[in-house]
Amino acid sequence: MVNDAASSLPDPGATSHEVLAHLQSGKCTTKTLISEYLNFLETTGKRLGAVVEVFSQSALQEAEASDARRMAGEALGVLEGIPFTAKMNICTEEGTTDASSAMLAGFEAGVDATVVQKMRSAGAILVGKSSCDEFAMGASNESSAHGVVRNPWDASRVPGGSSGGAAALAGAFGWAIHLGSDTGGSIRQPAAFCSATGMKPTWGRVSRRGLIAFGSSLDQIGPLARDAKDCQIALEVLQGSDPLDATSHSFPESSKEPIRKIGWIRQGFGEGIDASIREQVEAARSILEKDGIEFVEVSLPTMAQANACYQVIATAEASSNLARYDGIHVGKRKDSNDLEELYSSSRSSGFGAEVRRRILLGTFVLSSGYIDAYYGRAQSVRQEIREEILSALEDVDALMMPVSPFAPFKIGERIDDPLALYACDILTVTANLAGVPAVAVPCSFDNEGLPVGMQWLGKHGDDHRLLQLASLWQELNDTWKSVPQGGQS
Amino acid sequence: MSWNTVVGLEIHAQMATQSKMFCACRRQAGALPNSNICPVCVGWPGALPVLQGEAVRCAIRAAICLGCDIQELSRFDRKNYFYPDLPKGYQISQFYHPYALGGSIPFTRDDGSAAVLPLVRIHMEEDAGKSSHEEDGTSRIDLNRCSSPLLEIVSEPLLMSGTEAASCVRSVRALLRWVSVCDGDMEKGNLRCDVNVSVMPEDAVELGTRAELKNLNSFVSIERSVVVETARQIDVIEGGGQVVQETRLWDQDKEVTASMRGKEDSPDYRYFPEPDLPVVWITEDDIQQQSGNLPEMPEDRRQRWLNEYDFPEREVVPLLSRRENGDYLESLILEGVKPASASNWFRGEILKQLNEREERIEVFPVTAQSLALVIKAVEEDRISVATGKELLQKSLDTGSDLKTLLESTDEQVQDEGALGEWVDQVLSDNEDAVNKIRGGDDRAIGFLVGQVMKLSKGQAHPKKVQDLMRARI
Repeated sequence: MVNDAASSLPDPGATSHEVLAHLQSGKCTTKTLISEYLNFLETTGKRLGAVVEVFSQSALQEAEASDARRMAGEALGVLEGIPFTAKMNICTEEGTTDASSAMLAGFEAGVDATVVQKMRSAGAILVGKSSCDEFAMGASNESSAHGVVRNPWDASRVPGGSSGGAAALAGAFGWAIHLGSDTGGSIRQPAAFCSATGMKPTWGRVSRRGLIAFGSSLDQIGPLARDAKDCQIALEVLQGSDPLDATSHSFPESSKEPIRKIGWIRQGFGEGIDASIREQVEAARSILEKDGIEFVEVSLPTMAQANACYQVIATAEASSNLARYDGIHVGKRKDSNDLEELYSSSRSSGFGAEVRRRILLGTFVLSSGYIDAYYGRAQSVRQEIREEILSALEDVDALMMPVSPFAPFKIGERIDDPLALYACDILTVTANLAGVPAVAVPCSFDNEGLPVGMQWLGKHGDDHRLLQLASLWQELNDTWKSVPQGGQS
Repeated sequence: MSWNTVVGLEIHAQMATQSKMFCACRRQAGALPNSNICPVCVGWPGALPVLQGEAVRCAIRAAICLGCDIQELSRFDRKNYFYPDLPKGYQISQFYHPYALGGSIPFTRDDGSAAVLPLVRIHMEEDAGKSSHEEDGTSRIDLNRCSSPLLEIVSEPLLMSGTEAASCVRSVRALLRWVSVCDGDMEKGNLRCDVNVSVMPEDAVELGTRAELKNLNSFVSIERSVVVETARQIDVIEGGGQVVQETRLWDQDKEVTASMRGKEDSPDYRYFPEPDLPVVWITEDDIQQQSGNLPEMPEDRRQRWLNEYDFPEREVVPLLSRRENGDYLESLILEGVKPASASNWFRGEILKQLNEREERIEVFPVTAQSLALVIKAVEEDRISVATGKELLQKSLDTGSDLKTLLESTDEQVQDEGALGEWVDQVLSDNEDAVNKIRGGDDRAIGFLVGQVMKLSKGQAHPKKVQDLMRARI
């Protein structure tokens, strides 16, 4: 039997798998745990601007139901009692799903995304919705209709984006799984900025049904959490073929063997990458080498074109995916007797500046007369990048480089310079273009005390092998265990 | 100068599937507006299209019967444009890699010769919803049709007149109906047609500039619009002008075409590959399975009927227009009706009834089984042809079962004893008429037979009555 056990809550930085054991051993009830987590969301979560909606009532009810199941000795899910959040662009039956855009203000999806259904079926409890850049377009979480999100390690800095809310929550506090989406680095870059672990699965491994689309051929939902093992448990739950997403299927691992040979991507440490970032990731390499991991240098020359290629493909697909927000069926309408006028005023007022910029860019690169020079060329570059990565992965088990070329920057520092913002993506877009899995882990802190992240890319389907490697790293190095001062409630 | 007309077709056929193309919603006409919709077909945020196998199987059947080269790999693209009845802001279509190339449509040239119109391609695409604009300026949108599966059949520009164009569309319609791909009701819009028209001097080699006539929804409008548009283009050229490439609308009431938009105003659809759908992979097995499922094709049936049933050619042609008609006819024969009487009854009575009732044989209330009983009774002289037709009419009028009606009908009296009594009585009552006949005026025999029929309340066998009468006069 469980006593009133508020005094035996897990540590603030505890992982979900530690919390699972904690609940299992009866040290506290799910209700106590959830109510404490809700408290964290209401205080720190809101102070950081990371959480938009908190589902206190339903979460507490579900916690009670979970406690009852546990008491009755019923079958429990693999994430039984663990709190989880969904990014504002992932549909949930409860609350709103506005993709942090004024265009969709108050939009109620009415149904759970497949990933949300799967988390619930595994016993996890939906506690709230995390903020993100508008329509997941951004790398600083400054374009959210719900305001800027702050980095838990330094509130004057950005948490990265677009899954900035999810990463800020995962960096600040343990116990939970956060569902984010990654189109060009939107899980990994904020994870690196907030010292969380985040992964972008192989494209197609996790259903996108219920994700508000940005660049469909690049979008992938994935988990952000404290450590690689949490991500691994979450991925087990999230992955698999979904009859409602024709592009989803299951993937075999290329090998059961653990990763022992890593390709060191030369282009990931070259021009435009801050020296402090390079040094921290090089230090991590030495630690792994001491454990017997072999490193070989690889060159991916086409990576230099990756960001340009990404900007063309992502904006092209976005221009089409966001056409449905026209004020007729979905999206805030500015009424007019003239149809053209209705479209243009609804879309001009509903979308923020960055979203408008990308829709215009995407429309341009698909336009007659330009499509071959832009979209067509980008498609062939994408193919080259994919082949280059896969050919590099024939000789090594994984590829390694930093996540972000620089440390978390100050709020407002880059927001007026789109090119400076797009530069955040130079090391992350490659995995999306190739469709391969990538895991970002905390590497260390720089001399200003700001988190530095690094990432591994693997073959299609090698998601769990990458997470195993990440777990090995997290045994060798405990950077990931740090929790920011004042981060917790 | 003498001018030639050159015509090409783009035929849009709604596939007669149970469900829509990318979701499980029912594809049903006539439902309450916005009742057959789901998150996928209305483009709800987060919803993704999933290609339904039924639509692909249907498309394969169409491609087989038009003799196309079915592509092992094809894919979908997005055609982007804004319109209120297109809730996603794009239509899912096959632009770059259609599933079927080539093929042809058999048709009849104006000179009566048989010909084939070569096809460029067929592709699958989803339909948009329906907008209706009311006089007070209100527009209403019905999304039921959204994502219904369509085939677009594109021909080479090798027809020479509106009547040839109409002949082709008739032929496509008959074929698609035959293999249950499309209902083919132009008035209901499930078969629509765009026609490209250009003119060129009789001795020229290069095609003239074409105009595209949109959304023609009847055979008359196909025929007439080509005639009118040809005349307009010739007028333009002979008046020293140039035909411009444009899209024109046909006004059936006024019999004119009017410019809708020029080439410069034509929308830029920004086609690109649909990232939400994997490539469509059609295997040899898939094709085999569909060709194995195809019904006997019209040409094969024609040959067989000519051989097996000895039908005259002119009788066969109208019986081949719809497969279900022929199936009914064949059921009559299987029930034991002689082929010649089955054909007579079908062409005479059934087609007339279907016409009057404006219904299709599939819903005709009299089954081939019970009709066969009636026809056989006529063949065996148990009832007269007139009685047989009366029974059919009565069954249709009252809804009574034809078999029951037949069973309660008295059979014709053929017994010479009974007939002799009626004949003797009529002969003795009508001496004048008997004398006329004896005097060589044979016309009165009909009158006398009529008297016997009256006396027998229609039960007497008229042929036998006449024979008896002649013997006794």
